Amino acid sequence: MSSYYFVIIGTRDNPIYELEFSSFRSGVSGIQVPGKSQFSPSVKEILPFISHSALDIIEDAQWSTNSFNLGKIDSFYGLMINAFISQGNIKYVLCYDANGSGTNGSSSPSLNKNDENSIKQFFTEANELYVKCLLNPFYSVNNAITSPDFDHRMKLLARKYL
Amino acid sequence: MSKTTRYSGDEMWKNNVEKIQNSELFTLTYGSVVSQLCRDFNNNYQEVNQQLDRMGYNIGMRLIEEFLAKTGAQRCQTFKETAEMISKVGFKIFLNIQPTVTNWTQDGKTFSLVLNENPLADFVELPMGPDNRICRDLWYSQVLCGVLRGALQMVQLDVDVWFVKDVLRGDDQTELRLRLNKFLKDEVPAGED
Amino acid sequence: MKVYSCLILNKAGGLIYQNNVNPGLNSLSSNDFLVLAGTLHGVHAIASKIKPIPSQAKDDIGVTNTHNTNTNLIATGKSQNANSNQSGLQTIETDFFNLYIFQTLTGLKFVIVTSPNPVVHNLQPMNDFKSISRGELQKQYDSTVKLFRQLYLLFSDFVMKDPFYSLDMPVKSSLFDMRVKELLV
Repeated sequence: MSSYYFVIIGTRDNPIYELEFSSFRSGVSGIQVPGKSQFSPSVKEILPFISHSALDIIEDAQWSTNSFNLGKIDSFYGLMINAFISQGNIKYVLCYDANGSGTNGSSSPSLNKNDENSIKQFFTEANELYVKCLLNPFYSVNNAITSPDFDHRMKLLARKYL
Repeated sequence: MSKTTRYSGDEMWKNNVEKIQNSELFTLTYGSVVSQLCRDFNNNYQEVNQQLDRMGYNIGMRLIEEFLAKTGAQRCQTFKETAEMISKVGFKIFLNIQPTVTNWTQDGKTFSLVLNENPLADFVELPMGPDNRICRDLWYSQVLCGVLRGALQMVQLDVDVWFVKDVLRGDDQTELRLRLNKFLKDEVPAGED
Repeated sequence: MKVYSCLILNKAGGLIYQNNVNPGLNSLSSNDFLVLAGTLHGVHAIASKIKPIPSQAKDDIGVTNTHNTNTNLIATGKSQNANSNQSGLQTIETDFFNLYIFQTLTGLKFVIVTSPNPVVHNLQPMNDFKSISRGELQKQYDSTVKLFRQLYLLFSDFVMKDPFYSLDMPVKSSLFDMRVKELLV
C-alpha cells in the first residue's frame, strides 16, 4: 500500500491544490485505513519542500521531451516523484513511496509499467478537471482551488487510477 | 425580384447559431462579464444584480424585434398564451431550451419558468466565501430577467421578473417568476384588431 | 414590380429611415419625406377607426385571427407573417404608384412605394370575387409580404443589433443601407 502526495502548482510556482492519500487498490490489507496517507510525520512535513525542489528539474525536463507527461523525474530517500506539465505551464507533481509505507515492506517492490501508465492517466484526467475548473468565471489562474466539487472529483480519480 | 431568402420558416430553429458555432464562447463571455462586475462593484452583489438586469433590459428591447421578425408572432390574447410563447418559442430560438411553465397564481397573472438547464451557467460554481454571501445575494443569470422585462415592455406588457431559485445556490431547480402588472392598452399601436 | 422608395417610421410616426432604392420618383426634399411619414402615420391611425361593424363582411377583408397565428407558431415552429397591421391603412393604389404599409407589434412601420399594378388584360368578370380577381390583382400585394419580412429581418439584424444605435433614432448605418439596396434593387 503506497502513500501519495499530489500537488498542483501554478505558473508562479505557487501551490494551488494539494491532496494526500494512500493507494485505494486492494492490496495486502493491514491496519491502515484505505485513503489515508501513511507517510511518517517527518516525511509528511517535508513533502511540500520535496515537490518544490522538483520544480527546477521539471523546468529542465520539459525541453527534453515532446509529451506533457514527464514521467519519473526525481527520487528522494525512497520517495518517487512524477510530474506532468500542461500547456498553460501548470505543473502537476506526485510524490509517492515506491516501497510501501517505509515501516512495513509488504507492498509491491518497485514501479512497473502499469503504474507508470496509470499515473500518466491520472495526470491527464487531473489536467482535464483543472481545465473545467478554469472555465468557472469566478476562478482565475493561480487562485487556490477550494471547490469541494473539484476535491471530490479528484478523489474519485485517485481511487480509479492509484 | 425574388432574391434567395436567407431565412425561411423551416430554418428558423436549425439556423439559430449562424457564425459562432461554439456556444461555450457565449457562456464564457457571460461568465467573465458577471465576474468582472463582481470585482468592479467590490462584491456588492445587489448592485451586480441590478447592473445585469439593466443590461438585460437593453438587450430585450432590441431582441424583441428579431423575435417578431423571425417568428411573426402576433399579439397574445391571454397572459397564458404569452407564457407559452416565451417558453416554447422565445427561449427555444435564442437559447435552444424550453423552460417549463408552472406555478400559476389563481388570478393568472403570475407564473414560474423552470429552467431545466441553463446555458448561461455551464461550468459555473459560486466561490465559497467564509460568509457565503455570494450564494445569498447574487442571482447569476439575472440578465434573463432583464431581457424578458425589456422585450415584454416593447409589446406593451408591464411585468416584473425575478429569480426565486437557482441551482448555483444549491436549490433543487432554477426558477424565475413573472408577474403581469399591467397591460399598457393606451400604448398599443393603432391598426391592430 | 419595382420598388422606388422605402421608409421606416418609429412608433411615434417619426421618420427614422428613408432610402430611394430605385430612381424613378420625383425627388422629394427630406422635409417632404418627414411630412409624408407624419401624414401616413395619422391617416393609418384614423383609418383603423373606419371599419365595418364587426358582424358584417368580416371574411372578405382577409382578417387573420391572431390567436390562430400564434397557436400555429407554438405548435409547428413555422414562422408566420409578422404584419400586425390588421385594421389600419394597408395600401394606396394609384395609376402612378402603389404604397404599402407594414406594421410590427412594437409599432414600427415599414413603408414601400412601388410601381403601380400591372395592366391585366382579359380580367375575368368579378362574379367569383374571391378566387379570380384576387389572384391577379393581389399578386403584387403578396410579393410585398415577402419583401417586408426580409426588410424586417434586416432591420432587426443590422439596426437593432448595432450596439451604437439608440432606439427610435434615425438610422445611419451604411451596412443596413447596403443590405436594403441589395434586397430591393
